[in-house]
Amino acid sequence: MQGERGRTSPWLGSVFVWLAAMLLLAGCATQTQSLLMRGVPDLPRRAELSSTPFHPQERYQCGPAALAMSLNAAGIAVGPEALVSQVFVPAREGSLQPEMLAAARRNGAVGVVIPPRLDALAAEIAAGNPVIVLQNLSLPLFPLWHYAVAIGYDLDAETIVLRSGITERLEMPLSTFENTWARSGYWGMVAAPPGRIPVTPGEAAIVDSLVAFERTAGSAKVRGAYQAALKRWPDNLTLQVGFGNAAFAAGDLKTAESVFRRAADAHPKNAAVLNNLATVLADMGELDRAADIAARAVALGGPWQEEAEATLRSIRSARKAGVGR
Amino acid sequence: MSAVKRALVGAVLSAFTFVGFTQTVQAAMIGTEQIHAANAASGDREKIGAALDRPEVLAHLERLGVSKDDAQARVAALSDEEAATLASQIDSLPAGGDIVGALVLIFVILLVTDILGLTKVFPFTRSRR
Repeated sequence: MQGERGRTSPWLGSVFVWLAAMLLLAGCATQTQSLLMRGVPDLPRRAELSSTPFHPQERYQCGPAALAMSLNAAGIAVGPEALVSQVFVPAREGSLQPEMLAAARRNGAVGVVIPPRLDALAAEIAAGNPVIVLQNLSLPLFPLWHYAVAIGYDLDAETIVLRSGITERLEMPLSTFENTWARSGYWGMVAAPPGRIPVTPGEAAIVDSLVAFERTAGSAKVRGAYQAALKRWPDNLTLQVGFGNAAFAAGDLKTAESVFRRAADAHPKNAAVLNNLATVLADMGELDRAADIAARAVALGGPWQEEAEATLRSIRSARKAGVGR
Repeated sequence: MSAVKRALVGAVLSAFTFVGFTQTVQAAMIGTEQIHAANAASGDREKIGAALDRPEVLAHLERLGVSKDDAQARVAALSDEEAATLASQIDSLPAGGDIVGALVLIFVILLVTDILGLTKVFPFTRSRR
């Protein structure tokens, strides 16, 4: 009797503890409730990006499959097989979030994490961007981590539509989805084509993602992205520099000059901006103006002093050579 | 003649000193990433940390079964922040992979929680909510 009890009771006991905990947790889809009750201005009641392609996943390969669907929707032709070597971690039998973002960039899309909210998820879908979501379909104790692509929602039916696993169109109650999504900290990302800036991430998140995109994709591809982001945040220094540098790299000195001139007007104490403006002017043959600007950069001192001095020296020697000619 | 020679020597010498300077600093555009980092006021300590993160992530990925070539390309694609996250949390970050390994006990519990709408493991369950 004693022995039998010892064998079964911890087993049953833990089941009851879990069930009790589950019942307590049952009413916690709070974002769903607030979204449904209060709604969001300008958010359509329903949306579905039904043209998003579907790639059924192989075992453990929901990461590459989700990424491929999202990239395809952004107009980038790539299959899940090609992405396996870019994101899959064999010993972990899955794919990790930072690498999902990096792989989006490697394939020519800007990968950005969206704010951890259901209304942000819905807003991206309404704006035409499918969202890769990380869910724990199971309980925290036996996690079942899964990437799916959210492509639609219906606030009246209280459902979300996913491309998930081997199901092309999985309709799930919003509250259930929220429970599975909450366990990843509401992690979701958009892989957007460079000219289209996702609508929900803040200025800092977008700027960081574009700088990372430049690092991976190079200045030619990122130029349109900087330009598009500047329309939303015209005074952002990094965006101005990024756009100016990309224009300069493409040999478009006129655009580069006007961008850096505006940036220098807005940030007159930034020696790096002045240095770049001077370099552009020197390339345009306007050596006197270039030397003036470079001298201003040198006079500011600070972390860019050495670079500014080098720029000033090379402008002066170019001017000397020019005089001799 | 000697004036020309002196000028030539002078030019060569100044060219040498100039090369000496430009070995450390190029007269050129300052990159977007550098200006962004300086603007975001990320300290030198962070930068030193970031330099160490990438080799660490590379070693981690290889240990976890990624081939050397793939791992190198993957590390190169990471931002500093992503490299730092992976360096410190590669074993604890959730790996989305849809691992189906439920035991019978778990099956029953998850069936119940599926029906409660807390989980969504089984395709055949329909949440009561």
